[in-house]
Amino acid sequence: MKRILIILALVFFVLTTLIPLVWMVSLSVRGEGTVLRGVSDLLPRQPTLDHYREVWAGGAFARFFLNSSIVATLVVAGNLVFASMVAYGLARFRTRGSKLVMGTVLGMLMIPKQVTMVPLYVLMARLGLIDSYWALTLPFLVDALNIFLVYQFLQTVPPDLEDAARIDGAGEAVVFFRIVMPLLAPVLAVVGINTFLLNWNSFLYPFILTASEHMRTLPVGLALYAQGQYSIDWGSLMAGSVLSVIPVLVVFFLFQRQIVSGLTAGAVKG
Amino acid sequence: MAPSSQERAGFIFTIPWLVTFAAFGLFPVLFSLGLSFSRFNPARPGATHWVGLANYAELAADGTFWQSVGNTAFFAMGTIPFTTGIALALALLLHSRPPAGGFFRTALFVPTVISLVVVSLIFRYVYAPIGMLNAFLGWLGIGGKAWLQDPNFALPAIMAMDVWAAVGYYMILMLAGLKAIPREIYDSAEVDGAGWWARLWHITLPGLRPMLLFVVVINTIRSLQVFVEIVVMTQGGPLNRTLTVVYYLYETAFYKLRMGYGSAIAYALFAILFVVTLVQLRAFRFSRAVGE
Repeated sequence: MKRILIILALVFFVLTTLIPLVWMVSLSVRGEGTVLRGVSDLLPRQPTLDHYREVWAGGAFARFFLNSSIVATLVVAGNLVFASMVAYGLARFRTRGSKLVMGTVLGMLMIPKQVTMVPLYVLMARLGLIDSYWALTLPFLVDALNIFLVYQFLQTVPPDLEDAARIDGAGEAVVFFRIVMPLLAPVLAVVGINTFLLNWNSFLYPFILTASEHMRTLPVGLALYAQGQYSIDWGSLMAGSVLSVIPVLVVFFLFQRQIVSGLTAGAVKG
Repeated sequence: MAPSSQERAGFIFTIPWLVTFAAFGLFPVLFSLGLSFSRFNPARPGATHWVGLANYAELAADGTFWQSVGNTAFFAMGTIPFTTGIALALALLLHSRPPAGGFFRTALFVPTVISLVVVSLIFRYVYAPIGMLNAFLGWLGIGGKAWLQDPNFALPAIMAMDVWAAVGYYMILMLAGLKAIPREIYDSAEVDGAGWWARLWHITLPGLRPMLLFVVVINTIRSLQVFVEIVVMTQGGPLNRTLTVVYYLYETAFYKLRMGYGSAIAYALFAILFVVTLVQLRAFRFSRAVGE
């Protein structure tokens, strides 16, 4: 009896969670218009893929998708390499400044991004980089949280292998790229996946750092389309939303374990 | 002592961060602090000048700013208890090892990875006059509303969406917290005849305290920064009833181009976040001291 109640409760919450998502998909494939007259209208009667064709052929959406892909790829790659480098430098080479540098890493974790958004815009505008991939990637190539995650992970890895390689005459670059980076694989999976999710969904900075339609990322493009003064084509908007969510869902279903460990790694330390 | 080759290597490895921190961390933080004491319009850079505390004085007397603070506080206080409570309930349900637990956990977690823009778009249509909520209410025989255009319902509607979108994330965190409580404590409590409520009250909740604190603190910080939902759903309206601090900051700095005043708003928000977090940490320590 108790188990049945537990399952009923879970089913109720899962339904509340999934219905709006089913609804997004349903709207995107409705051939009969988007006015709802009742609950019976929730599933499409004349399913069609027209909205998907329109959205993709329209050009603007494909461009948003391309921009998001380029930016996310660069930012993920940057974080994999640079967060490892920095964390390794801080964890293994205890120098006079390394405590202070670690302090700046932890300090940046506490600065809300609203404090830096106005100056970042001014800086990018002065450099003439508004509306460029530079503005969308440069500031985000190495994130403090990622440095922290790799740093924590390195504390659990003994430096024996690195020392052995040095004794064999390997230079520092070789030690880092050939010995350390492979050892970091588990934490780099977490870093890469979480950076991808955050960057793909990122809104505030791409919103203020882009001006023209052809440089918008998916979240910005979708949000501004919905703000247009013309009447909104909800079928196409939802088709675009579904397409924008697909990469994230694929990553989510493949790497749920890493996503969860990324979430809890930040939390458990506290 | 001259820098050793060790020191040089350590320095070289940290260069990417030193550059990033200097250009996109320290410089913006100091520059916006300076801006908050200046008048600055990027369209008329020549007219930039130092105004001392004038921006902060204006802020203190700015009714719209205080309205945005009120809306944001209402948003935080009206969502956090629900998000925390539902997330805790779901974590407890999943922790009781129900059949198909993995499926339920995955399904409940899905909204967390979907962009807030997309979530807001979906709910704009859920709340539309011809949308899903009204269709459902009509089926129950209840009249509908233009939820996002109604001054009394727009903010609560966005808050309900926020709970929907955020619960999965905190559920996962609390589930991790529950798993960290050693099983033996429950077993010995059961041997001593402790019932379900007694175990919840005396073992689970105390064991979950650090995670609960973390969840409330980060949810507060996040809630005080609501922005995306407002951009997509209401743009601060109707009648400024959904104007949040960050939306007001955005509007001031990037729409009215008052970047000095905008920076003062940013620092005011920073101060609010700092104080609220400190108070929560203190309250937590205090309640723990009382509890022991």
